[in-house]
Amino acid sequence: MANPPASQSDRPNATKNRRSFFAALAAITTGAVVVLTPLAVGVVTFLSPLLRKRQSSTVRVALLAQVPDDGLPRYFPVVADREDAWNRYPQQRVGGVYLVRQADEAAPTAFTAKCPHAGCFIGYAAGADHFQCPCHTSAFKLDGSRVRGDDEVSPRDMDQLPVELRELQLASGETATEVWVEFIDFQTGHKQPIHTT
Amino acid sequence: MSAIRTIVDWLDDRAGVRELVNEALYESVPGGSRWRYVWGSALVMAFVTQALTGIFLWMAYSPSTQTAWESVYYIEHEMAGGWLLRGIHHYMAQMMIVLLAIHFIQVVWDGAYRAPRELNFVIGLVLMLVVLGLSFTGYLLPWDQKGYWATNVGTELASQAPIAGVALKKLAVGGSDYGHHTLTRFFALHAGVLPALLVGFLVLHIMLFRRHGLHAKDRNRAPDTTFWPDQVLKDSVASLGILAAVLALTVWKGAELMAPADAANPYDAARPEWYFLFLFQFLKWFPGELEIWGAFIIPGIVVAVLFVMPWIGRSKAGHLLNVALMGVLFGGAAFLTAQALYDDNFAAWNEKTEDNAARYEASQGFLDAKQEAEHEARRVIELARSPAKIPPTGALTLVYNDPYLQGPKLYKQNCAGCHNYADPENSDLRWAYLVNKNPSAPNLFGVGTRKWISGLLDPKQIVSAHYFGYAGSPFVGDGDQTDMVDFIQESLSEDLDNEQRQAIQTAFKKIAAALSAEARLPSQAEADARDAEMITEGRALLTGGLADLLESGTSCTDCHTFGEMQDIGSPVLDDYMSRRWLLDFLSNASDERFYGELNDRMPAFAPHDDLRLNQLDHKSLELIVDWLRSDWYRPSQDTDASETANP
Ligand code: HEC
Ligand code: HEC
Repeated sequence: MANPPASQSDRPNATKNRRSFFAALAAITTGAVVVLTPLAVGVVTFLSPLLRKRQSSTVRVALLAQVPDDGLPRYFPVVADREDAWNRYPQQRVGGVYLVRQADEAAPTAFTAKCPHAGCFIGYAAGADHFQCPCHTSAFKLDGSRVRGDDEVSPRDMDQLPVELRELQLASGETATEVWVEFIDFQTGHKQPIHTT
Repeated sequence: MSAIRTIVDWLDDRAGVRELVNEALYESVPGGSRWRYVWGSALVMAFVTQALTGIFLWMAYSPSTQTAWESVYYIEHEMAGGWLLRGIHHYMAQMMIVLLAIHFIQVVWDGAYRAPRELNFVIGLVLMLVVLGLSFTGYLLPWDQKGYWATNVGTELASQAPIAGVALKKLAVGGSDYGHHTLTRFFALHAGVLPALLVGFLVLHIMLFRRHGLHAKDRNRAPDTTFWPDQVLKDSVASLGILAAVLALTVWKGAELMAPADAANPYDAARPEWYFLFLFQFLKWFPGELEIWGAFIIPGIVVAVLFVMPWIGRSKAGHLLNVALMGVLFGGAAFLTAQALYDDNFAAWNEKTEDNAARYEASQGFLDAKQEAEHEARRVIELARSPAKIPPTGALTLVYNDPYLQGPKLYKQNCAGCHNYADPENSDLRWAYLVNKNPSAPNLFGVGTRKWISGLLDPKQIVSAHYFGYAGSPFVGDGDQTDMVDFIQESLSEDLDNEQRQAIQTAFKKIAAALSAEARLPSQAEADARDAEMITEGRALLTGGLADLLESGTSCTDCHTFGEMQDIGSPVLDDYMSRRWLLDFLSNASDERFYGELNDRMPAFAPHDDLRLNQLDHKSLELIVDWLRSDWYRPSQDTDASETANP
C-alpha cells in the first residue's frame, strides 16, 4: 500500500488526542445512527408477524343427525375462510375434528385432529377402540385421554373444542340441529392446552 | 478492557486484524479532512442502506404477476414500519443517482481521472451503469401501472436495437409479453446479479482508491491528517444528512404505489423515473426510423466518450474539453428534464390559446390520466384493505369487479353519448368527465333516489333537460306531450289554490318516498326504514288515493302497473330502479314492461337469449347498474368475517 499505517510515534500530542477522541466518539455515534436506522426499520418490519393475532373462527361442521350417540368418533373437515397475508381464500379446508357422542348425550364432544405432541394429524380407523397418531405413535382412548397416561410421548390428552348446537329453520317448517365448533389452534408440546395467537 | 485486548490479540495473531484496521482507518488525508471529500463515502453508505433495506424487503416480496403488487401493497399498508422501509429504499435509490452525479462532476472537475487513476475512473463508470441498471430493474418490481408502462417503453426501445434487439427484449422479458418471468428475471437481476457486480466493482474501486491515495485538492491547505477520525466524522455527518433527507421525503410523500399493472388498460401518464426523463424527452427529437439515433447511437457515443475521458484529459486542453463536455451533458440533461416537466405540466401553468392547443391538450391528457390513476390507486388500496382482502387471482380482479371503478368507464363508452351524469346542485369533480352538456336523454345522476324521483314529479323539473326536456325529446313541446308530463303539469297547474297545492305536494313527497323505497338503494336503507309510515301512505296514494286529491281523478295506477294494481300499463313501477328492474330495463328498454312502443331511442343492450348477439354482457350491465345505484364497497361497511358456515 502506498501509505504505511501511522505508527505510534507520529500520533498527535495530548490536546489533539482529546480532540480526536471526541471526533472519534462523534463519528462512531453518527455512523451508528446512519447504519442502524435502516437496519432497525427492517427489523421492525421483519418482526411484524408477531403483532398479528390469530382469531379462531366458529364454524358449522355437521348436522347433529350425522353424529349418532354410539360413542364412536366421526371425522369432519373444518371449512373456514383462510387468510394468508394479503389473500383471503373463502371456504377452505383448514383442519379436521372428531365428534363423539355418548348415549343420551345431547351434544357431542369435539376433538381437534391436531396431535398435542408435534401437530401431526391423528388418525382413527373405523371400528378401532383408540385414536392413533401416525408420527410418533401416540395413542388416545375414545374419550381423548392418553392410552398409557404420562408414558405416552404426547404431553397431554387430545384437545377438546367448545361445541354449540344451533337450530336451523327449514323452509318446510321443520327444524334441524347443527353442530358448531370453535376451531381453536393449540400449541404443541405443553402439558397445558395453550391457545396459539 | 483486558478481555477485549486478549480477544484482539488472539485475532491479530491469526488474521492480522490490527494491520487491517490500521490500514483502513489511518489512511492519510493530505491537506486535512474536508467536506468536499465526503461524496464517495456517502455513496458507499447509500449502497449499504439499499442492501439492508433491500434484504428486508426481499423477505416480504413475492415476484409473480399475481403477487408482486399484492406483496408490495402488504408491505406498504399492512406490515409494521413497512411504509418506512419501502420509503427509505425508494428515495435512497434516487439519492444514489444524485450522489453519483456529484461524485462524477467532482472527479472530472478536479481531473482526478488522470494517471494513475484512469482505471479507477473506468471502474467508477461501470459502477454508475450498474446503479442505473438497479434503478431500471427496481422500478418494475412493484408491478404497478407506473412501473409497468414505463418499463414497457424501456424494453420496447431495447427491442429496436440493431441486430439482436428483439432477442434481447425477449430475454429480458422472459418471453414475448410481460409476465411471471419478467418479474423473476428482473428480480434476480435487481437483487442478485447487479448487487454482486456492484459489490465486486466497489471493492476494486476502493482498493485502487487506497492504492493511489486520496486525490487532494490542495495539499498545503492544512496539516495532513488521517482518515480516522476527522474525515470519518465528516463522512458520517454527511451521510446522516442524506438519511435525514430521505426520511423527510418518505414521511412527506411516501413511496407511491399505483394501481396494479394492467396490460389492457394503458396508463397514459407513464413516465420513467425523473433521472431518466431527459432520455425520454430526447427521444421526442427523433421521429420514426431515426429513433435508434436517440435511443442507441447517440447515448452509446456519449457513454463511450465518458469512458475515454481520462485519455482525452491527459493534456490541459483535453481536460478543459472534458469539463466542457460534462457541462454540455449535464446542462443538456437538465434542460431536457425541465422541458419534459414543462411539457407535462403545460396545461397547469398556461392558459389555453389557439396557438398552443395541441400542446395544451397533450398536457391536459397527461394530467387527467395522472389524476385518474391516483384516484384508481387509492380505490384499489381501499378494496385490498377490506375484510374480503385480495382474491387469489390478484388485485386486478378487485379492479375489474368494482362498480366504482368500472361503472363510469362502461357508462362513458355506452351511455354518455346521450345521457348526462351531473349533480344539478353541486358539481362532483370525480365525475366531471361524465358531464354531457348537450344531453339527448335524462340525467342519470342519482337515479332512484327520493330527490331524483321528486324532480320527476315536479312540473317544472320534469320538462327540464334533466328529465324529459332534453334536446329532441318527443315528450315535451307543442301538443306532443306524453301522458306523464301532461299528468304532472295538470296535477299541479297554476289554477290551484295554496291549500290544494300544498296537499298535492305533500302527497307527491310521500309518493316519491314510496317509489324510491322500491329501489332499495343501500344509501337510502336507513331513511327507508325510518320512514316506513310515510312509505305506506305513499303506496296508498300511488295506488288510487291520489285520485281523491286531483281534479282529474286519476292516480298513478291508472296508467302504471304497481302493487295490487297489476296489468294496468307500463312502465311497471314495481321494484322501480331496483337492481333487478334496472338490469332488465337495460337489457331491453323496449320491453312491454318498460317503454314498449313509447321508447325514444333508449337502446336494448342485451335483449337476446343468444348472448353472442348482445351489446353488453351481464357482468358489464351489473357493474353499470351497481354504479348508478351507488352500490359499491365502502370502507365503513365492516362485515363480521369470523363466523362462517358450510353451505
Ligand atoms: C341513444 C341514446 C341513449 C343511449 C346510448 C342510452 N340511453 Fe338511456 N335513455 C335514452 C332515452 C332517450 C331515454 C328516455 C326514454 C324514454 O323515456 O322513452 C333513456 C332512459 C334511460 C333510463 C330511464 C331513466 C329515465 O330518466 O327515464 C335509464 C336508467 C337509462 N336510460 C340508462 C341508460 C344506460 C345505463 C345507458 C348505457 C348503458 C343508456 N341509458 C344508454 C337514450 C339513451
Ligand atoms: C296518464 C298516465 C300516467 C299517469 C297518471 C302517470 N304516469 Fe308515469 N308515465 C306514464 C308514461 C306513458 C310514461 C312513459 C314515458 C316514457 O316513455 O318515457 C311514464 C313514466 C314514468 C316514470 C319514468 C319511467 C322511466 O324510467 O323512464 C315514472 C318514475 C313514473 N312515470 C311515475 C309515475 C308516478 C309516480 C305517477 C303518479 C304520481 C305517474 N307516473 C302517473 C304515464 C302516466
